[in-house]
Amino acid sequence: MATPAALPPLPFNPARVRSYLLRLPLFTRLVVLAIIVFWLLELQTVWSVVQWGSLAPDEIGFGSMYRLNTYPFIHNGFFHAFLNLVALTPLVERFEAEHGTLTAVALFLGPLSTFPAGLYLLIEKFLLHRNTAVVGASVWVFLLFGTEAIKTFKSHPYFSLGNYKIPTWTSPLFACIVVSILMSNTSFLGHLCAILIGYLFGLGYLKVFVPPEKILRWIEGKLNLLGRLPHYVSVDQKTYGRYGVLPTTNTMGERGTPMSYLGSSQPAIRKLRSNPHFLFVHLPHVLSFLCVLAGVVWLLLLPLNDYSRRTYISENALLPGQVHAYFSGSDQNIFRGYRKELEGLLPNGAPGEGPERNDIELTPEISDKIQSVLRASGLKVATQKYEYTSAGITHQGQNVYAIIQAPRGDATEAIVLVTAWKTADGELNLNGVTLALTLARYFKRWSLWSKDIIFLITPDSKSGTQAWIDAYHDMQPPSVQPLPLKSGALQGGLVVEYPFDHRFESLHIVYDGVNGQLPNLDLINTAVSIAGGQMGIGANLQEMWDHDDSYEARLQTILRGMAKQGFGYATGAHSSFMPYHIDAITLQTKGDGWQDEMALGRTVESLCRSLNNLLEHLHQSFFFYLLMQTNRFVSIGTYLPSAMLIAGNFTIMAIALWLRTGYYMGSKPKPSVKTDASQDEKKEQAASSQDKGKPKATNVEQNGDANSIIERQLALPLSFVVGLHLLGLAPLFIFNNLSHKYFTTATYTVIVADLVLPLLLAVLLTQGFTPKPQQYLLMKSFSLLLLGLFLSTLATLNFSLSFMIGLLCTPLSFVNRISPTTSAPIRYALAFIGLVLLNLLSPPVVLLGGCWYTGVSVETILTQAAFGWDVWGMWTQVVVWCVWWPAWMIGCALLGFSLF
Amino acid sequence: MPVDRRQAAVFAGAFALRLLLLVLFPSLPDLLTGRVEVSTPVSSFKRLQEGLFLYTRNVSPYDGGVFHQAPLLLPIFALLPNAREFPLPTALFYSLIDLINANALITISDSGQAVSGRLFSALRKHIRWDGVSVAAWFLFNPFTIATCLGRSTSVFTTTGILYALSSAVGGNSLNAMLSLGFASYLSIYPALLFTPLVLLCYDRRAQGPNPPSGVAIFAVQHMAIFLCSIAGLLGISCLIVGDFSQFISATYGFQLLVPDLTPNVGLWWYFFIEMFDSFREFFLGVFWLHLAAYVGGLTVRLRRQPLFVITSLLGIFAVFKPYPSISDASLYFALLPLYRHLFPLMRYTFFAVSALLYATLLGPAFYHLWIYAGSGNANFFYAITLVWSLGLSILLADTIFAVLRDEWEQENPEMRGKEARQV
Repeated sequence: MATPAALPPLPFNPARVRSYLLRLPLFTRLVVLAIIVFWLLELQTVWSVVQWGSLAPDEIGFGSMYRLNTYPFIHNGFFHAFLNLVALTPLVERFEAEHGTLTAVALFLGPLSTFPAGLYLLIEKFLLHRNTAVVGASVWVFLLFGTEAIKTFKSHPYFSLGNYKIPTWTSPLFACIVVSILMSNTSFLGHLCAILIGYLFGLGYLKVFVPPEKILRWIEGKLNLLGRLPHYVSVDQKTYGRYGVLPTTNTMGERGTPMSYLGSSQPAIRKLRSNPHFLFVHLPHVLSFLCVLAGVVWLLLLPLNDYSRRTYISENALLPGQVHAYFSGSDQNIFRGYRKELEGLLPNGAPGEGPERNDIELTPEISDKIQSVLRASGLKVATQKYEYTSAGITHQGQNVYAIIQAPRGDATEAIVLVTAWKTADGELNLNGVTLALTLARYFKRWSLWSKDIIFLITPDSKSGTQAWIDAYHDMQPPSVQPLPLKSGALQGGLVVEYPFDHRFESLHIVYDGVNGQLPNLDLINTAVSIAGGQMGIGANLQEMWDHDDSYEARLQTILRGMAKQGFGYATGAHSSFMPYHIDAITLQTKGDGWQDEMALGRTVESLCRSLNNLLEHLHQSFFFYLLMQTNRFVSIGTYLPSAMLIAGNFTIMAIALWLRTGYYMGSKPKPSVKTDASQDEKKEQAASSQDKGKPKATNVEQNGDANSIIERQLALPLSFVVGLHLLGLAPLFIFNNLSHKYFTTATYTVIVADLVLPLLLAVLLTQGFTPKPQQYLLMKSFSLLLLGLFLSTLATLNFSLSFMIGLLCTPLSFVNRISPTTSAPIRYALAFIGLVLLNLLSPPVVLLGGCWYTGVSVETILTQAAFGWDVWGMWTQVVVWCVWWPAWMIGCALLGFSLF
Repeated sequence: MPVDRRQAAVFAGAFALRLLLLVLFPSLPDLLTGRVEVSTPVSSFKRLQEGLFLYTRNVSPYDGGVFHQAPLLLPIFALLPNAREFPLPTALFYSLIDLINANALITISDSGQAVSGRLFSALRKHIRWDGVSVAAWFLFNPFTIATCLGRSTSVFTTTGILYALSSAVGGNSLNAMLSLGFASYLSIYPALLFTPLVLLCYDRRAQGPNPPSGVAIFAVQHMAIFLCSIAGLLGISCLIVGDFSQFISATYGFQLLVPDLTPNVGLWWYFFIEMFDSFREFFLGVFWLHLAAYVGGLTVRLRRQPLFVITSLLGIFAVFKPYPSISDASLYFALLPLYRHLFPLMRYTFFAVSALLYATLLGPAFYHLWIYAGSGNANFFYAITLVWSLGLSILLADTIFAVLRDEWEQENPEMRGKEARQV
């Protein structure tokens, strides 16, 4: 009575609610869980759960009979689900407590959902000829109401209201009416059917469907369900009455099964602390796996409308397509004239279509002709010779370029227009070069340029632009001539490719740069908007010729873009500009349509006019994006978490292993650990004298106190991990300096070395140092820490590469040294299978697989890679050999340790 | 002097590694010299070369406002051949300086002052690394190697500080003061180490055969020596440069007033870029006061372990100095292994080391995105310098915690190894 009267007692006791919830039996829990899961599933927009599982009369057929069972779990939103849950839980709990879990399962998944559904279908479809789909657990609510009402009716037939005596069995009907009046969108008929079945069940007409007790008891005994399942209500239990013997005490107390710590969820959480094996061993694996899964799912969600955005022009100065393009008419005659002159210089006269035409090189005569044409148009012309040697192949040539000095500018800024004699695919780009010559003559006559325009004609798309742009910034190697003529800072670059003679249908925009660097999105947007909006030419990305804007097409575009970005090679002549922070794209003509070279010329003119408008370097729009359609993209903030999650999975594992080595080693009972540890220690000290005399006193201390931190021995794991990372430099050096003839052999040699080296390392280390179990874990911890570190850094530079390597490395999170306590045959078998599987994911094998899939020879790819390293400054190889390969090697070595 | 075999091996290995890197990657020194993480405006080798160029042509090296280092370096470097044409002599010189620093570290470690001094004796003194391991840790630390190859002149300050320490723990307080004077002359901040260093000298001398009379007199005497050494060095500088006021404002004025806001791994540059000019003086005062404030507190609280106070202060300087670089961090990391006996008490080493590793990788990546690729901005790099400072601060706080815990366990022997909670 000391408590102040001002505080009224709570209408219900929260503690009781909690204990009630904690004592909910198994089937009830499952039902609640299923309803919540289906509600959560409904939150996404791809797959409509309601449409899939609702009881729609017209949809019912043999293939969709599942609807008869699924509809009670599915709800139309939060309030529907919530109200039904509140109403259903006590009823089902009561039912299950009385009849046992098995009976509840059999009845609720069987007759109690199909019968009302059948009745409803009969009435709705064949009597009323309507098609109203129903969902929701309210069917069970009313059904159980009905049964309960019959039960009540048997004991208390009436309740009196004044003079009237109302039979108690009608109460569900009232409830049904009230519900239909109060809430919209409830199916009166459905509820009525449920009540009817409930009455029948309550009256005992459905007894035949209840499975016989004998069978249930047999199943229960055979499977020891009572011992295995928490919260299970036995068949026998109904003899004890409603709360006869509580299931928890039953499982926990009497039959102390090994799994009994799962007894109830609340102690399970509390027990995490006292269950270090789960906390340190299982939980990190689960978390890592979830991270990988989330990373992949995240990427798959990107093409959806909710996660991507429409592109827009961010830089207002660009004003794409706002000017009239005048390139037409008489210029076409000039184009034809130039073309004739160039064709006359080709070795076999004018060649037709065909592969032999692609072998024609840019000869000095043609180069001279180009120079004379440019000079005749009034431009300043210069040439540059270059030579690169890579993988034993020499690439050489002579760039020709000419500058239009801006009538309204001060030569501090310039735009580059590049046409390579050979396109990125190695085709003869005769029309492209001719177009550039015509445009040079045409542009020269205009007085509105405020930036210099540089016309660059290179012999090929791979090395010519690189030599030119390096020399433009005075960064060229000695084998490349410096430029005699220069202009101002380059603001943008356009590469034009028109490698055939017929008319074209659409423009293909190529934008990937070296090392996955991308041009400012504004440039691509401008090109798309000019081509599509002003000129009426369609634009494509990533070789997606028929993009129907479906989810699959979007995803495919993203994935192709990611593959190109990840490999980091130059996809065209424009790629070389990117490292110098010059935004550039390639326009390729594709298909057979009705657009002619003049249309392409007008597009280029309009693009140049837009770039000419720029007041400052392109900077407004995104530099990190994934395009999924010419007018849709995702920006870095949206897609980065996916690679970061995958990189994070390694870090989580590394941290967990570090904690595990410090706080928890193995699950053996304590006394044996003590003796083991001290013996190990003695052995260790006797064996290795170079271990800096780790004193015994600490061991005594650490063994004396279970909670103290175990001292970690870092020297061996650290030097092992660092050493392997440095060893990665060897294959890097070899593959970048070998002649191209030996690449195939070298690849196979590395595959063999990858097979042997882990085992060799394992033998050497086990024989030489006898590492302790802790040190194996530390090796893995450091290796994964570094991997996570490198990948997350890489994700900010080249998202796709980080994502791909991360995915290929995910098995490494889960590879462990198999404990020697496992019986030898199993251990050997597991280690062997693991090694074989891991070897399938080794860098050279993946390379071979990729080559086999794409049908390109290994030599071609590696020659290209070496060329990229030597000329483009591509560093994909560094990531492969110094990040991926060492991590993979340590994973293999860990498996190898379990063999010895 | 008997040369330890292991020591010789470590020194030879470190020396060979530096030469090997130089031979294998000839462009590496120039690359590192240009990195903002290695070279700050007050320690850049490029700026030194500029000063040297002017000096050898009899122009005041401070003309042009590029060179901000102490003038005594000029005659030393004038003796070496031009680093551009003959990079090897300079590299050898810097490698030798590293070895000298390592030698000082060995002396400090072997004196055992880190584990037991006049007023204290650590509980776990058996857990320690010997001098050669500490030296190896310093010599093979990538940060040290990068500083050495980047030819940052802060290594001379490091030498001054380390020799001050090694003389102090050896009981040679005169040399300690002279060395500290040299370090303070090169870059002002080592002067803040004066108080703990005097205490260290005092403790060491008090252990010896003829203890000094009182702390106060001892401190005043040494203060006089310290000031005299600085005055002497300034006098020589004056003879070299001629224009005293220009030299003072170009070197010490530059260090104190922080006019150059080139990015570095510290916290000042971004803060002062964002600052309105009218508040600049005020916040300069606040920042310097903040830096100096740690001296008093730590010296008083950890009076019994002056060497640890100096170590912690060096860590704090590496975070809060106006122009910090990785060489400051490497000096702190060099002294940390002396406290190997505290490692079992530290709780966040893994986290701190991970943060530092992440910052080490992400820093250059974000700098690249900002400066070269143009797709990032200054905030990218600044965020990473924050992470770097965070990692260092965690390490600092953790070591200080460990020392306090060690002292506490000494006072409460019954609580050894048990969980304790401060309330």
